[in-house]
Amino acid sequence: MDSPAWLVLRGLCRGLHLAGYFSTFGTTFLAATLLRRRNVPGLTRLAWAGFALALIAGVGWFLLQTAYFASAQSWADIINAIPTVVEYTRFGALLLGRMAVLLLAALLFQRNLRLPAALLALGGVLAESWLGHGGAMEGGTGALLLAVSLMHVAAAAIWLGGLPGLYLALKTLPEAAAPLALAFSPMGMICVAALLLTAFVQYWVLIGAPGALVTTAYGAVALAKMLLLASLIALAVLNRVRFTPALPSSRAAFLRSIGAEIVLGLVVLIAAGLILQLEPPAMAGMS
Amino acid sequence: MGKTVTRALRYALGGVALSALLAPAPAFAHAFLKSAEPGVGAVVATPPAQLLLTYTEGLSLPFCTVTVKGPDGKAVQTGKPQPVPGHEEEMSVPVHIAAPGKYTVTWHALSDDGHKTKGSFSFTITP
Repeated sequence: MDSPAWLVLRGLCRGLHLAGYFSTFGTTFLAATLLRRRNVPGLTRLAWAGFALALIAGVGWFLLQTAYFASAQSWADIINAIPTVVEYTRFGALLLGRMAVLLLAALLFQRNLRLPAALLALGGVLAESWLGHGGAMEGGTGALLLAVSLMHVAAAAIWLGGLPGLYLALKTLPEAAAPLALAFSPMGMICVAALLLTAFVQYWVLIGAPGALVTTAYGAVALAKMLLLASLIALAVLNRVRFTPALPSSRAAFLRSIGAEIVLGLVVLIAAGLILQLEPPAMAGMS
Repeated sequence: MGKTVTRALRYALGGVALSALLAPAPAFAHAFLKSAEPGVGAVVATPPAQLLLTYTEGLSLPFCTVTVKGPDGKAVQTGKPQPVPGHEEEMSVPVHIAAPGKYTVTWHALSDDGHKTKGSFSFTITP
């Protein structure tokens, strides 16, 4: 359970769990803000689809992480360790608590209580930060990393999590495409600025030297994540300056571009899940 | 419009590149041993009744293990790692040390962020 293959599998499950969680939150957030006066067919189903992904991937992540914690050799070892993980580890308590919060948010959203649903889901999104380095480290550096992580996940969840809902709205409400795209753009830009700023602080604190970007697994994934982020930003800029002004005639191309952003965003989140399983180069070799 | 795209792209990519290249400061993510009582490599006259291990991150104690072996290779810890109230990053380990010599401590830790670490050190009890 300590081998690289299992590590990748844990990272994959964590990334998919994040993607589902962000999608449900982003959908409720979009519905409570830019779409508050509109009814988009299929939006509730989209929120539940995100919940289903977060749940299925979350179960996989929980079992794999439990096996890792307990150095399990069999299913019996994993099952025996589950109560201990739930009761005595922050990971177990937070994962279960966050899923309960997301379920409640989805139920509220089903009843069209958009703002309470979005606020609850936001709580679950932010709680993810306590499963990272900042949540576990003591002192000023820990507090800095935690604050930065809170900003980072909130910005990522609003931007990337909102893309599926935006896609659906643009597809089903052609007459609202231009105002929606114009309204989403500044929100996206604020999120991108927050992501760049927080990514800079995280790399500054957690990566020991610029060379580690190419000589360590953590650095390589971080570099790949940055390149993917750059591609996402390029697509967002393209949407803003080329497709949005040309709406409605550019709607098909705009939808394809957002579709590409969703796929890239998913890959970014899987990379995020993976990097959170790796040892930051700043403390490699300590014991 | 083309210039605007180019400019925006340049700023965005520049920001990403800047994030990657500016000199970073090291930090201690994951739980690594920060200090120990008796200390790493210490020579002490009085055998301790317990070891106190302090880490760089909070610990999930049920998945932490500590083995202390004496000069004869036998384990001298008398219980599992115990929490230290008010200090999530510390654990104490009861030991029964009856003879002088070199003692080797091997630890496995699970931090609150879900990562496992391990290490070892030794200390010496003088006659």
